[in-house]
Amino acid sequence: MASIIDIKEECALQVRNFDFTYKGAPAPSLKKVTMPIAKNAVTALIGPSGCGKTTLLRAFNRMHDLYPGNTYEGEIEFEGRNILDPKEDLIHLRTKIGMIFQKPTAFPMSIFDNVAYGMRLQGIKNKSELNDRVEKALQDAALWKEVSDRLKNDANGLSGGQQQRLCIARAIAVEPEVLLFDEPTSALDPISTQGIEKLVIELKERVSIIIVTHNMQQAARVSDYTGFMYLGDLVELGHTEELFVTPKEKLTQEYITGKFG
Amino acid sequence: MSPVQKRILINKVALGFSTLSAVIALGFLFWILGVLMMKGIDALNWNIFVYEGSPPGYEDSGLKHALVGQLILVGLATLIGVPLGIMAGTYLSEYGKNSRLAHTIRDISDIMMSAPSIVIGAFVYAIIVMPMGHFSAWAGAIALAIIMIPIILRTTDDMLQLVPGTLREAAFALGAPKYKVIIDIVYRGAKAGILTGVLLGVARVAGETAPLLFTSFNDNFFTTDLNEAMPSLTVTMFNYAISPYDDWQQLGWAAAFILSMFILGLNIIGRLILLAGKRK
Repeated sequence: MASIIDIKEECALQVRNFDFTYKGAPAPSLKKVTMPIAKNAVTALIGPSGCGKTTLLRAFNRMHDLYPGNTYEGEIEFEGRNILDPKEDLIHLRTKIGMIFQKPTAFPMSIFDNVAYGMRLQGIKNKSELNDRVEKALQDAALWKEVSDRLKNDANGLSGGQQQRLCIARAIAVEPEVLLFDEPTSALDPISTQGIEKLVIELKERVSIIIVTHNMQQAARVSDYTGFMYLGDLVELGHTEELFVTPKEKLTQEYITGKFG
Repeated sequence: MSPVQKRILINKVALGFSTLSAVIALGFLFWILGVLMMKGIDALNWNIFVYEGSPPGYEDSGLKHALVGQLILVGLATLIGVPLGIMAGTYLSEYGKNSRLAHTIRDISDIMMSAPSIVIGAFVYAIIVMPMGHFSAWAGAIALAIIMIPIILRTTDDMLQLVPGTLREAAFALGAPKYKVIIDIVYRGAKAGILTGVLLGVARVAGETAPLLFTSFNDNFFTTDLNEAMPSLTVTMFNYAISPYDDWQQLGWAAAFILSMFILGLNIIGRLILLAGKRK
C-alpha cells in the first residue's frame, strides 16, 4: 500500500482519488492518486518514464482539456473548490496556477512583450505599471541584469537558460499561487540548471511549487517533499530527506538505489 | 575493361546525360526569357502607360486599360481569396486538425489546385455571368480567387502546423483564450510562411488567362466599373498576339514583358521572405 505522509502545514492543493485515462488508452494512466501539496514548499515528483508524473502535473492547470477525449475522475481541491468541476473557469485557473515547460517556450516577440503577455491578457494597459511589473518579474527571475538594456530585442536571441528564466519571469509576472515545473532543466547545461534550481528555492516564499524531474539529485536538492510514482500510482510521499534516506516502501528504495528505472 | 573502369565509364555517361538534360531544360527557359526581354524592352515606351487601347494603326495606343484592369482583377481576387484561404487554413490547423472534415477539405483542396483553370472559368460563367446576364470584373476576380484559395489554404495550414505545440500550450498556461493564442502566438510564429503563401498565390493567378475569358472577358477601353467587362493584361496579350497588326503585336510583347516581370518579382520576394524567416 502507498505510504503518504500527513502534511501538518497548510496545503495549496489537495488531490483525492484522482483517476486519469488518455483518449483511446486501454488502461488509466493515473489510479486513485491521493496527494496533499504543501503551501509555500517545493514538492518534487519522481519516477521512471511513463509513471504518470507529468500527467498528474498537467492535471493541476487542466492542460489535458486542450486535447479532447481524455477522461478523469476524482477531486483536486484548490482555494476551497474542486478545480476538476466542468464549470471551472480555466482562464482564471491558469492565471493562478502557472506552468514552466521542458523546453523554453519564448514567444516570437520582444523580451518585454513576452513578460508583459500574461498581464496584458488580464487587461493591464497602463504603461508605467507594465514597466514596473516587467522589471520586477525579470529581477525575480534573475534575468534583469542580462537583458535590461535590450528589452525590445527578439526573445529568441537569448540562450536556452536565459529563455527558461524568461518563461519563469513571464509566469510569475501574473502573480500565481502555484507554479508547475515540467522537467525545467532537462534541455539546459549544468550552469543554467544551477540557476534555475536556485530560483525554484527562492520562489517558494511566494508560491507553492510542484516540479517533475527525471533527476533524483535535483529532487533532493530543491524539494521539501518528494512523491515517488510508479505505473500510475503514487507509491510514497514524504519529506524529501526521509524519502531518500529512509524510504518506507520497498519499491521506493529500489528506485532511488538504482535497481530499476 | 575492368569492372572499375566500366563503372567509371557508366558514371561519366550518366553524369553527361543528366547535365545535358538540365542544360536543355534551362536553355528553353532562358531562351523564352531572353526573347521576351529583347522584344519586350524594345516595345516598351511611355505611351504604353498613358494611352488606352485603340484600333490598329493609331499612334496613341497603349496598355493603360489592361494594366489598371489587371491590377483591379488581381487586387480584388486577393481581397476575396486571402482572408478566405487564411481562415480556412487556420480552421484546418487549429480546429479541424485530424478530423474527417479536415482531411476531406485538404484532399478537395489538393484536387482544386490541379483543376484546369478554364473549368473554373466555365463554373463562374455558369453561376455568376449567366444569371447576371453580362461579363463583369466581379466574375473575373471571383474566378481568380477560387484558384488562389487552395494554394493559400494549404500553405497556411502547413505553416501553422510548423509552430510548435508547446508554444500554444505555454500561451494557454498563462490564461490566454484560444483566439488570442492563434492571433498572438501562432500567426506571429508563422507570418513569414503565410506571407510567402499569399505572394505565391497572387503570382499564380496573375498569369491566368483561361478563367478570365468567360468571366471578365476583355475590353479595349479603360474602365473601373466592376460590373462591366474588364480588360486584363493576359487576355489583351492573347488578343493582340493573334492579331495580324504589327503595332498590336508590339503591345502584346510589352504586355508579356510587364506581366512576366511582375510575376517574377512576386516569386522572388516570396522566396526572400521565406529565406529571411528561416535564417532567424
